[in-house]
Amino acid sequence: MKIKNRIGRLGSLVTLCLAVICAALFAEIPDAHAEYGDIVINNYSDAAGMRPVIFPHWFHRIRFRCKVCHADIGFKFQAGGNEINMVKIIDGQFCGACHNGDIAWSPENCNLCHSAKPGTKTQVHESTIQKLAQPSGVPAKK
Amino acid sequence: MKFSKLLLVSAIALLAAPLAQAAASGKDVYSKTCALCHATGVAGSPKFGNADDWGPRIARGVSNLYTSALKGTAKGMPAKGGNLTLADGEVKAAVDYMVGAAKGSDAKAPAKAEEAAKAAPVAEKKADAKPAAASNPAAEAKAAASAAAAAPEATGDVNSFNRLLKPANKRNPPPPEDGIHDPTNDGTHALLPPQAAFGSLPKSNAGNRVNWVEALNTDKIHPRYDRNDPKAEPIVMDLNIVREVKGSMPDVVYPHKQHTQWLDCSNCHPAIFIPQKGANSISMAAILLGEKCGVCHGKVAFPVSECRFCHSKKKDTSRPAAATPTAAKQ
Repeated sequence: MKIKNRIGRLGSLVTLCLAVICAALFAEIPDAHAEYGDIVINNYSDAAGMRPVIFPHWFHRIRFRCKVCHADIGFKFQAGGNEINMVKIIDGQFCGACHNGDIAWSPENCNLCHSAKPGTKTQVHESTIQKLAQPSGVPAKK
Repeated sequence: MKFSKLLLVSAIALLAAPLAQAAASGKDVYSKTCALCHATGVAGSPKFGNADDWGPRIARGVSNLYTSALKGTAKGMPAKGGNLTLADGEVKAAVDYMVGAAKGSDAKAPAKAEEAAKAAPVAEKKADAKPAAASNPAAEAKAAASAAAAAPEATGDVNSFNRLLKPANKRNPPPPEDGIHDPTNDGTHALLPPQAAFGSLPKSNAGNRVNWVEALNTDKIHPRYDRNDPKAEPIVMDLNIVREVKGSMPDVVYPHKQHTQWLDCSNCHPAIFIPQKGANSISMAAILLGEKCGVCHGKVAFPVSECRFCHSKKKDTSRPAAATPTAAKQ
């Protein structure tokens, strides 16, 4: 009886712990609803102990035509496909072509770009592919 | 039966203690989340322990403070202080803690608040625990599975209307509440909330909920064509390409005009589209997977839900339909 009771208790504890962990996991899954076209870039950030970068397309397209970044500056049409790093930015490539303290604020404002929750994956937020692979409301597989 | 009762009671007795600790105390919540602003009084927020700041607010009732803390305020307080993972009870406990500190009854009030906070979640979780701590180990496993499955749904009404659609009040949220920005990052709070920018722009039904092409054509926005020269004008090419499509969908009219207003020829040609009639095979499948038109549409440009924006030329169905009967007659 005692042993059974113990097993029972242990079982229920484990069960509850599981349930709580699951609940926490699901609660943590942000029902993320950031802007359409927000790009999360996490090529190197997490590994370097920085928050991943979020690039808001909507903000930039109010100020620049697509052509400026995607033809003149040379950003490829692929999230995470540009191998951007801080040295290149400081040398005036990629973001640094404008974020130089002249056209736009300079790169020492780390936290304005590096603003994503740690561990956020590289993605085009709200993109068709993201929605097809993971409809809203269904928790992501971790 | 007795055995199961015993189990139930013992389980609850055992679990109540650790759960009480799991619910963060008001002080903990304050120091981890609220203190970011309230320690120093950022943006006019009531400063921790400052009776002058808190007095008038407390006078309006603690329940008002709870509501402000839980739902946020127009003045800039984000819902739950920006940490949406907090339980309502934890937020309230933090409010109690701050109210207690402001009243100056330094030791007693916070202690009481913490007790209250501990009591509330325990009561909630006890109710949850009962089905999980079921009568025998086999059923427990099942209960665990169902509890786990039910967990994500517990956050909302499962039978709500349009369960999978994004509710209107969740569109264009400010960065600290959008789920991908880190609300604990100071820079996040300096970013422009999309709604501040979109207010004056023409609306659309999808994407950013802004009709960007119309915004450009009605001079609501003035995006530069050259990063250094604000006066540079785009080289616009006004040429429509009609693509006949299979099935009943209207044919596609591709306007070079709207595309060259934003883009350079080299953005699409020749890598994505070979500039030659009939040389490009395009399918909705490819577009959905992010190829061809899908390189931009479905990521940044209006999404694929807006079928009629492209499929805009009604098929001339009269000719084949009319031709067949006459052919049969002759």
